Amino acid sequence: MRLLLIEDEEKVSRFIVKGLTAERFAVDVVADGNRGLELAQTYSYDLIILDLMLPGLSGTEALRLVRRQNERVPVLVLTARDAINDKVQHFELGADDYLTKPFAFAELLVRVKALLRRGAVSRANTLRVADLEIDRLTQQVRRGGQRIELTGKEYGLLEYLMTNAGRVLSRTMIIEHVWDQSFDGATNIVDVYVRHLRNKIDDPFERKLIRTVRGVGYAIGGEECL
Amino acid sequence: MTTRSIRFRLTVWYAGLLAGLLILFGFSVDIGLRHYLEWKLREALSQQAKQIGEAWLGDVGVSGESYVAEEINERFSPRVSNRFVRITRADGAVMYLSDEPENKGFDPSRVSPLKSQADRESLREEHLTADSELMVFAMPFSAKDGGRYVIEVGASNQEIERALHGLLLAIGIGLPAMVAIAIAGGYLLMRRALRPVDEITQSAERITSRNLSERLPVARTGDELERLSVGLNRMIARLDESFQHVNRFSADASHELRTPLTILRGELEAAAQQEQITPELRETLGSALEETERLSRIVESLMAISRLDAGEARVELAHFDLAELTSSTTEQMRLLAEDKGIALRCEAERQVRVEGDRARLKQVIVNLVDNAIKYTPAGGLVGVKVCATNGRAALEVNDNGVGIPPEALPNIFERFYRVDKARSRQMGGAGLGLSIVKAIVTAHGGQVKVESVEGRGSRFLVELPVAGKASE
Repeated sequence: MRLLLIEDEEKVSRFIVKGLTAERFAVDVVADGNRGLELAQTYSYDLIILDLMLPGLSGTEALRLVRRQNERVPVLVLTARDAINDKVQHFELGADDYLTKPFAFAELLVRVKALLRRGAVSRANTLRVADLEIDRLTQQVRRGGQRIELTGKEYGLLEYLMTNAGRVLSRTMIIEHVWDQSFDGATNIVDVYVRHLRNKIDDPFERKLIRTVRGVGYAIGGEECL
Repeated sequence: MTTRSIRFRLTVWYAGLLAGLLILFGFSVDIGLRHYLEWKLREALSQQAKQIGEAWLGDVGVSGESYVAEEINERFSPRVSNRFVRITRADGAVMYLSDEPENKGFDPSRVSPLKSQADRESLREEHLTADSELMVFAMPFSAKDGGRYVIEVGASNQEIERALHGLLLAIGIGLPAMVAIAIAGGYLLMRRALRPVDEITQSAERITSRNLSERLPVARTGDELERLSVGLNRMIARLDESFQHVNRFSADASHELRTPLTILRGELEAAAQQEQITPELRETLGSALEETERLSRIVESLMAISRLDAGEARVELAHFDLAELTSSTTEQMRLLAEDKGIALRCEAERQVRVEGDRARLKQVIVNLVDNAIKYTPAGGLVGVKVCATNGRAALEVNDNGVGIPPEALPNIFERFYRVDKARSRQMGGAGLGLSIVKAIVTAHGGQVKVESVEGRGSRFLVELPVAGKASE
C-alpha cells in the first residue's frame, strides 16, 4: 500500500511516517502544496493524507484539483481547523475523512485502515481474540466456551476493541465510537465501562486480555498479553 | 411613569411655574380693577354732588328748601338710581335726606350724622350691614345767598364687589383649566421629544456581548439625541472591537497550540509503544501523555467556548424533546453513578420541545450530571428533572453533595475557576466544564442559575426557550 502525505510541519510528518512505516505502509512525504499535487497526479496512490495550511498551493485548492482528475483515491484531511463550516466545506469538495489536530496516532491509523478497507466488505461475523469470541449477528459473547452476558454498551465497547484487536484505542476514539462526542472531556465513563467489562471477561480467567496503555488508552490482545 | 423621569419633572416644573404666574396675574388684575372701579365711582359721586349744588342748592335762597328737596327727588331721583343724598346745614341740621333706595341696598337713616362741618371734599366708607359698604362723598358748598352746606352723595359698593367677584370666579375656574391643558400639552410634547430616548434605551438593553455588531437607531434630526446615539454607537463599536480581539486571541492561541501538541503527542505515543523500554520510562511517558491529553482538552474547550461566544453555536438547529434527550443521556451515565454508590433519579416524563443543537445541549446535560456525580460522596443522591414552566423549558440537576461555598458561587461559570483547586485537579477537570455549559445555554437564548448550600448540596437550573408551536 502506498500513501502520500502532504504536510509541511516536519516533526508531524516524521512521526506519522514512522508510525505508518511500522504498519508496513510505503509513505511519500512532501511539504509543499504544488509538489504534492504533482505527485498525486503522477502516481497512483492508495490514499492521500492532506494538511490544509500549506505553503504554495493550499490544501483546499489541492483537494479540488486532485478531485478534478481522480474521483476514486481516498483523501483524509488533517488540520488544526475544526470549525464545522470547514469540515462541511471539505467534505463537499470530496474529502473522505477529516481529523483535527491534535490527534492520537492510533486514531489516524484506524481511520487510514478504515478508508483502505472501504468497498471490500469483509466484516467477519465472528471475531476472536485468544479464547474470547463474539458473534456479531447474535451479539453473543463466549470465553473458553462459557457464555458471558454483557449490557449493550459493554458489548459495543468489546466489539470496538475486538475489531481493532492488538491496537491501542484512545479514550476519545472509544467515546466517539461507542457513545458520542458529548461525553468527551472530563467524564471517566470509558474507564468505568472498561472496569466493568474486565469484571466479566477477564477476572474469572487467568489470562487477562484487556490491557491499559497508560496515557494512550486500551487495547485487547496484542503481544504483551499473548 | 416614574416621578423621577425627565418628562414628569419638566411637566411639573412648567405647570407649577405657569400656575404661579397665572395666580400673580389674577391678583394684579383684581387689585387694578378694584382701584379703577373705586376711582370711577368717586368721580361719579363728586360729579353728582356738584350737579346737585349747582343746579338746585345754589338758588336755595330764592326757591326755598322744600322746592330744592322736591327737585332733587324728582329730577335726580336717588330712590331709583340707588343713591344716598344728604344735605346738611352749617348748624348740623339735615336739610334733605334721600329715601330708602328701591333695591334696599342700604338704609339712609342709619348713615352716621356729620360730625363736624367739613371744609373740603372727602370720601369715606360707611359699614351699614355685614356684607356691604356705602361709599359716601362729602363736599362743602356755599349757596348764592351765603348759606353754607355740606352735600353728601353715596352709593353702595355692591356692584364693584360683584364685578370683582365675577372676575375672581372666572380666574378660579379658568386657572386650573389652563394649568390642566398646559400639563397635558407639555406632557405630550415631552413624550414626543423624548420618544427617541426610549427607543435608544430599548435598543441599548438588547445589546449584549453576543450581538455587539448591532447598532442603535440614529434619528437624523441633528439634535442632542442624534449626537447621543451616534456617541453610544461609537462606544459599542469600540467594545465590539475589543471583544472580537479577545475572542480572536483565544481562538488563535488555541489554534497555534495544536501543531506543537500534535507533535508532542505523536512522539510520546511512538516512544511509549516501543517494546524495549524500561517500565519506569513507560510510566514517565504515560504520565507525560496524560498531561498532553489534558492540555489538548483545555485547548479544545477554549476553542469551543470562543466559538460559542462568536455565535457559531447553533449550527445544527433542530426541534427535539429535551425530556427524551435528558432521560436517555442520564440513562447512559447511570453506571457512573452506580459505580460511586450514588442514586441517580430522573424525572422527565412529559415532552418538552426545544429548538437547538442537540449534541451541544446533550453536552450541557453530561457536564452537569457528571459534575453532580463527581461532587457527591457515596450514598448520595443526584436528581435530574425536566419540565416546562411559564413558556420556558427547565432542566434541573440537583445533588446532596459537598455544595459550593457562598463566596465561590458568583465565579463558578468563569473560565478556569475552581472551588477547591487541589481536589478538582485530582479529578482531571480544567475548570472549563461549567463555562462551556454557560456558553452553550447562552448561545441558545437561555440562562443557567445555581443555588447551593455548602455541605448540603447544589442545584443547577437551566432555562431554555420552548420551541414555537408552529413548527411542531
